[in-house]
Amino acid sequence: MSDLNLVKSKVNYSAVWILAKRELMEFWRNKSRVISSLAQGILFLFVFGMGFSIVDIKMGGSTVESRAFTASGIAAMVILFTGIFGGMSIFRDKMFGFMKELMVAPISRRTIMLGRTVGVALQTMLQVVIMISLGVAFGYFGYDLSLIWRTILILPIAFLSSLGIVGIGLTISTRLRDMQSFGLIQTFIIMPMMWLSGTLIPLPPQILMFNPFSYSADMFRFILLGVSYFPFWVDLLVTVCFGTLLILIGAKSFNKMEISQ
Amino acid sequence: MAENIIEVKNLTKIYEDGDVLAVDNISFNIEKGEILALLGPNGAGKTTTISMLATLLRPTKGEALINSYDVQKDPDKVRKSIGIVFQEPSLDGEMKARENLELHAILYGMPKKERNTKIQEVLKLVDLEDKAETFVKNYSGGMKRRLEIARGLIHEPKVLFLDEPTLGLDPQTRRKIWDKIQELNKGNSKMTILITTHYMDEADELADRICIMDHGKIIAMDTSENLKKQLSGDVVDIKFENLEESLKIPMIISQIKEIPGVKNVSFGTSEGERTMMPNIQLPKGMSGNFNPEMIQARIRETLSDPKKLIIAWKKMPMATEMFLNAPLAIKKKIAEMFDESLLDEVPDTIKEEIIKIKKGEADNEEIQEPSISISCENGGKQLPFIIQKLNENKIAIKTINMHQPTLEDVFLHYVGTAIREESSNHAKDMKRRIQMRQLRK
Repeated sequence: MSDLNLVKSKVNYSAVWILAKRELMEFWRNKSRVISSLAQGILFLFVFGMGFSIVDIKMGGSTVESRAFTASGIAAMVILFTGIFGGMSIFRDKMFGFMKELMVAPISRRTIMLGRTVGVALQTMLQVVIMISLGVAFGYFGYDLSLIWRTILILPIAFLSSLGIVGIGLTISTRLRDMQSFGLIQTFIIMPMMWLSGTLIPLPPQILMFNPFSYSADMFRFILLGVSYFPFWVDLLVTVCFGTLLILIGAKSFNKMEISQ
Repeated sequence: MAENIIEVKNLTKIYEDGDVLAVDNISFNIEKGEILALLGPNGAGKTTTISMLATLLRPTKGEALINSYDVQKDPDKVRKSIGIVFQEPSLDGEMKARENLELHAILYGMPKKERNTKIQEVLKLVDLEDKAETFVKNYSGGMKRRLEIARGLIHEPKVLFLDEPTLGLDPQTRRKIWDKIQELNKGNSKMTILITTHYMDEADELADRICIMDHGKIIAMDTSENLKKQLSGDVVDIKFENLEESLKIPMIISQIKEIPGVKNVSFGTSEGERTMMPNIQLPKGMSGNFNPEMIQARIRETLSDPKKLIIAWKKMPMATEMFLNAPLAIKKKIAEMFDESLLDEVPDTIKEEIIKIKKGEADNEEIQEPSISISCENGGKQLPFIIQKLNENKIAIKTINMHQPTLEDVFLHYVGTAIREESSNHAKDMKRRIQMRQLRK
């Protein structure tokens, strides 16, 4: 069908907006999701923040306060969880039949995908702000006026970083046939990406360089703390390339998906 | 008037990964303002056909025009011309009813002003105005269906597809939805509606024309009346008074068949399931002048003596079938005559049945009254002869019911026979259906 053409197909921006809004609304209404994401953040802040507070982390030449290191990593981690599960919520729509309603609507698949991606990215931005505020509230970051503009600066980074992650979620969800595989994805994709990204525990760059997500976490650290493993431009370049690639793969598998009843 | 809004030509769908032919080269037209019902057993290809017309599936071959737009070349325009209510719910339960409708209106590019009035209008149409702010997950099945119909109407489609719109709904809700469908088809908009269903009464009540599909092909397409006329004549259903009479049925059937004008006689009425009992074929030369009294006496004699019964079962396959199809009361009587030692001599199939009855497992089985269904050219003429035959044999009649063939008779005529002919391929058939179901997902 003609709208399968990814480049030529038109995008209906009001449709993108309503789909993104739906995504945000569902997050907000689903109080258990809000609470669990908050609780997880607090738990991580406590466990890792307290646990590592006795040691100082050395990066490059300078010493970083370990609690600030953890707090910035946890803020970055939000991207991973929200992104993948957000991308996979397409699967939930498939299960509950709502996908069919979208598929018969006179909008291109690109519109559907864009709506979803933007929605998840906005949701990610919201949660990143919440996490940073929590970090401030617990005294993990210093009360500094510069933190405000740092946070503002971080939002586009969060948006950009989540694109690639949503792409992963999309690719998985179009291929997934049942709910049982969720555990598999948790174990083999989310967990390795999380633990090997240097968000919670400092790791040597030789390991980090193979995990695309660690570049996003690195940017967070750079903006919030002023230290990083890699130069900022490398982080940005890798994130942009990774995001573009994954979104394209996601879009391709999404386009191939045929839905009947 | 004869303007076609849907034109389908040689439409074919093969599911590639399963090599399954789901829709086999079908062609049909639907006129503007018509209600067409698509009937067929599960796996006949109805849903696949609708999915292709709704641009959800790409046809393997052939073309389809809706509102003069090609489903493959102009999917967006086709999508704007149609509204669809799927077999399974496709609402977002986490949103309120109004939000579901609003989202739909925006997806279909409606301007904001028009949107609100239209949403109010369709909510009123399906009587859900006061439930507009309720979350859809708290809706009942019937309400969800009605909301889906409302949603399908927001963008004022030229054609409405309804895939099993009343599946699993209670009678009142069904009636309500039927009324809505008929309402839509009236008035100046006079919407064209394509509906698939399993319910014969639904198709009969709603549809202008009926299309029967099986194995991906259209096997009949006409108005309900014309289809029934094809099965010309009348159907006479007779129920008998006593359960014992059922033993005489095979004999009486062969007699009734000899009446001129009688086309076919079968066990059971169209209301119940027809039991596939073989008709008695009398040995040649005997058919003309056998004495029913004598045969009945012989049967009674055999029934009273288990030893004779065993011989009969062993020698005549028909006797076995007669026993298996006999009413429970008779089976129980017979079962009582056999004790452990006698059972050993009984053929296996019957032995199993007797053991089952002795254990009382068969008690739950529905006791079916003995009945026959006769299709004849002219009920009025043949009925007296039929009754005469029954009287001659001293068979007590409980009820006689003569009627025109129903749509169900028509459906069974087309689809039922097709399945029976291929009964040896039954397993293959089932496999194909399961395959198709998986592929659709």
